[in-house]
Parts: sequence; C-alpha cells; structure tokens
Amino acid sequence: MKTFDFKGLASNKTFFEGRCSKLIIPAPDGQKEILANHENMVIAITEGMLQFQPENSEEWIQFVVGTGFVQVINNRVTLLVDTAERPEEIDIRRAEEAKQRAEEQLRQKQSIEEYHISKASLARAMSRLKATSKYR
Amino acid sequence: MANAREIQSRMKSIKDTMKITNAMFMISSSKLKRAKKSLEDTQPYFYTLQSAIGRILRHVPDISHAFFDQRSNLKLEEQTIGYIVVTADKGLAGAYNHNVIKMAEEHMRQYPNHRLFVIGELGRQYFSKHGYTIDTHFHYTAQNPSMHRARVIMEKVVDLYMKKELDQVHIIYTDMINPVQSEAAITQLLPLQKKHFAPNTLPINVRQEEIALYPDAKTVLDLIVPNYITGFIYGSLVDSYSCEQNARMMAMQTATDSAKAMLHDLSIQYNRIRQAAITQEITEVIAGAKAQKKKRKR
Repeated sequence: MKTFDFKGLASNKTFFEGRCSKLIIPAPDGQKEILANHENMVIAITEGMLQFQPENSEEWIQFVVGTGFVQVINNRVTLLVDTAERPEEIDIRRAEEAKQRAEEQLRQKQSIEEYHISKASLARAMSRLKATSKYR
Repeated sequence: MANAREIQSRMKSIKDTMKITNAMFMISSSKLKRAKKSLEDTQPYFYTLQSAIGRILRHVPDISHAFFDQRSNLKLEEQTIGYIVVTADKGLAGAYNHNVIKMAEEHMRQYPNHRLFVIGELGRQYFSKHGYTIDTHFHYTAQNPSMHRARVIMEKVVDLYMKKELDQVHIIYTDMINPVQSEAAITQLLPLQKKHFAPNTLPINVRQEEIALYPDAKTVLDLIVPNYITGFIYGSLVDSYSCEQNARMMAMQTATDSAKAMLHDLSIQYNRIRQAAITQEITEVIAGAKAQKKKRKR
C-alpha cells in the first residue's frame, strides 16, 4: 500500500511522526479520509476522533483531538490541533465533570464570549466521553 | 568601629537572608526546568503553525477576512490599541518586570487610545498605581501558563476586536534569546499582517502549487487564525514564564554571592576586632600586674 509522510502536532507535544497509509479526520461536515498522493489541500478539523494506520500495520491508532487543521502538500501531511489525547489517557470522571460544568455555565446568562468558551468546552468534553465509551 | 557583638548580629541576619535567597534560587531553578520543557514541547507546533499560515496566504493571496482588516478607514492615531502585557506575579526578578513595563509605557505614550490587559499581579499593581486604566475583569496569573488560559485570553481580545472596540492588539512579553539573555518583545496579534508570514523573498520563477481550502477559505481561516493567536499567546506566556524564572534565578544567585562576599568581609572585620579586644585586655592585665609589682618593691 502506498504511504505518505504524516506529522501530527498538538500544542504541547508531537504525537506522531512517520509514514502512514490511511488517515481519517473529523472535518466540520463529517469524517474525511486521506490516502497517499492526495490533492494539495488544507482542511479544517473540529473536535472529534482522529484515526490513522501507520505503515505496515493493520491497526488503527486513535486520538481524540481539539480544533485545528490539516494541510496536505506534495504527499506530506501536517496536522495541527490544539489538543490530542489517546482514548485510554482520558480520565472519564474529569471529562464528565467538565461536561457538567460546561452545561451548568451554558444554562446561566453570560456574555457571548463566555458562551463560546462554554460551548467549546462542552464539545471537547462530549468528544472525549464519546471516545472513551467506544473504547470500552 | 562597631563592636564585636554588633558585627555578629549583622552576620547572623545576613546568613538568614542568604538562606532565603538560596532557597528561592533552588525553587526557581526547578521551576525553570519545567518551564523550559513546556517551551520546547510547544515550539514545533508553534513554528509549524506560523509557516502553515504563511503558506496558505502565499497560495491564496487575495483573501479578505475580518482578521486581516487593517481598519484603514481610521487614522493610526484614532485607532484603539489593546496591549496585552505579560509581567510576573512577584518581584525579586532583577530587571525582568522593569523591562516589560518600560516597553509598554513607551508604546502607550505614542498612542493615546489604548486599553491595557495585564497578566501578572506586579504589572497590575504598577499600572494602577501610576494612573493607567487597566481592564479589571482581566485577571490572570503568570504562574504555570496553560492552553486553557491562552484560549480564554484569545476569546476576550478577538471578541473585542470583532466588536470594533479594539482596532489593533499587541502583546508585550519577554523572549528568551539564549539561556543567559532575554529581551522584552512586542508583536502585533491583530489584525494579522500578511508581510509577517509571507516575505516577498521568493524567486519569481518558483512554481507555486495550488492549494484547495476545504470547506472554504473562510471556514479554514476562522479555525486557523484563533488557533494561531491562542498558540502565540500560549507561546509568549510560556516564554515569559521561563524568562521570569531565569531572571529570578540569576537575581537570587547574585544576592547569594554578594551575601557571601559580605560575610567574608565581616568575618575578617570581626576577627580583627576580637584580636584588638584580646590584645587590649592582655595589655591591661600586664600593665596592672606591673603596677602591682612596683608597689610591692617599694
């Protein structure tokens, strides 16, 4: 199978660097899969599950990611997201608490910027919880 | 000349202070290690982000987007400029805070319309004491910078920028040039300047590949630009925090060193006085004994 260079960067770590054969990203309108020799493109990423298959491996590696984008240029894929976590790293209780906190804040009257922040943290908490429930 | 007991009590107080400065040195050096680690972790993300935006702008040069709106309908003097100033929570860090504050004051003198967003307790105290109006709801500490805090700060300034309450946003922070040298720096966050990302140094005959933006340029930029600003704020928070610890470490090192030098001088002085006192006592005893002898002889 043809492969491509993949580099995954989160704001606090480089979580993958090497060759990959398949990459599935959560785009704003659903999932998208990137294969080798993809057209040059920049795609936005929303909170959700990221999956990829490294070279010579049938196993999918999964990461729960925050917002960001991926750029494909000359068969080199660079992915930039603000957070990336393995599903098994996620602390369910913390995610649950974060979700409740965000919901609580959304119920209260707040400014538009606070609303955006709470909305975003709710989305993050939901995607993390979804990932852990699938993982179990 | 001071007497021996005075010198001794002075030496004791210097020793006590030295214990404190030494402890603070240890604390800031261990904090520096952690801060440097997170700085190294975030650097690849940050630089790639910068070059990615540059690339997008290079390939799609005629993007018009709110984040690139230079607000040219207003004269430069009429624009409201927001300054995010990153200082420390505490002093005792050499010239670290002073440099940042000085730079901020210089810039604010040029533009009468400004709004201050100060990170760190020391800067807040300074600016409110010197009669600047600072945003009181903007209450963040400089300790242990986190992505979350950067995100909240970004939301705040982007919101004000979009509401046209701010026309420009600058961040003033301290940049670590190398482990022994750091410098206050200022960068414009909003509106983004294309020349920052895409210098016109590319040769003309280089083939520029087409890049498609999915779903469309606006959506992609809507996501990337706030991310970039968050990343930049986070980067400068981490950078400043490492510089703060570095400056404090060096200040405490010099304090400990000068305490040692003072102790050395004082101990020499103390020994001299002690010797002088002993000599004097001996002379007195001998003189007394001689006088007694003479009396007996008579």
